[in-house]
Amino acid sequence: MRFLKGVFVSVIAALAVGALAAHGQSLSSHAQSRPLVKTDAVTYLFPEQVSVPAGKPAQVALHFRIAQGLHINSHTPSDDFLIPTTFSIPDGSGVRLDSATYPAGTVMTLPIDPATKLSVYTGEFIIQARVVATAGNHLVQGKLHYQACDQNQCMPPKTIAVAIDVIGK
Amino acid sequence: MRRNTLVLGATLLILAIFAWAGWANWEYRRQEAERILAGAGHGELVPAPGGGTPQYVSPLIGKPAPAFELKDLNGNKVSLANYRGKAVLINFWATWCGPCRVETPWIIELRNKYAAQGFEVLGVDTEGDDLKPDDKAGWAKATAAASKFVAQEKVPYPVLLDGDSISRAYGGLDDLPTSFFVDRKGVVVTAQVALTSESDIESKILKALNQ
Repeated sequence: MRFLKGVFVSVIAALAVGALAAHGQSLSSHAQSRPLVKTDAVTYLFPEQVSVPAGKPAQVALHFRIAQGLHINSHTPSDDFLIPTTFSIPDGSGVRLDSATYPAGTVMTLPIDPATKLSVYTGEFIIQARVVATAGNHLVQGKLHYQACDQNQCMPPKTIAVAIDVIGK
Repeated sequence: MRRNTLVLGATLLILAIFAWAGWANWEYRRQEAERILAGAGHGELVPAPGGGTPQYVSPLIGKPAPAFELKDLNGNKVSLANYRGKAVLINFWATWCGPCRVETPWIIELRNKYAAQGFEVLGVDTEGDDLKPDDKAGWAKATAAASKFVAQEKVPYPVLLDGDSISRAYGGLDDLPTSFFVDRKGVVVTAQVALTSESDIESKILKALNQ
């Protein structure tokens, strides 16, 4: 019994020291080499598959997530030099984008430039796409075009694929 | 007996957690190494000694600034080589970049302050980053946007177009604004990515001027 207690206490102590060391090492290596490459400002979440009535308009809610600390311009940015977020579906995919309804942007100002009000999306947002699909199974490669920034820097405009399996019944 | 089993079970559980933590740490390091390898040639932000603004460490520091020749807004060819003997700030920017617009008035002010000492700024517009070479309408729109901003801010230094064509030589330029400070011999003495402050930019200009 005493032996088991000894083993238990030794394991706990070793674990505590090991975990602290590993955590510290991991944090310091991260702080010293923070790459500027941020390739995943926006991620498409879901749906991966939808069933819609063939030949009739159907509403599909597309969910996206913006990486923490970043924002993207809304569909209606506050200034004409800013790049709006837009969703599109290429022609010839068997699915037509009839219309897209975008959420209203959140008003945001940068600490260094409080006079300029920006209309942005942060966190998660949903685009309501109204689509018309022909009968059959269509693997649609929609496109989301956006431009992301944090408080001090901006990344170039980017287009990501929005892959949805649309089944027209 | 029951107590012994419990202690033994807890020990095994802890050992399993320890093994998992080791594996997670190894996996993190492996991914980090891959990411660093993939980003070879890119600069990095490192914390400034004693806190403050993080410093951008570019692999170009201490090396000759990559040569380029680009057209300005009037269609004239401008070469970096023409500025040998001057300290030069190569400022990559775009009109869609809010922080770039914030720092432009600072750069104009500093350019005017140090021009007599042999300092010049080359603004390199990367407006058309996502444009295809044959997208004439897109390029015309991008050039018009840059021209409008330059006129509005009364930018006194050359603003060059198609910065994307030289971005690879300057480390990929994943973020804007990005600036390289070049001394009179054409060597990159320091660099900065992201919006910092006018005083930070001024200190880097003085470094390029060797003051």
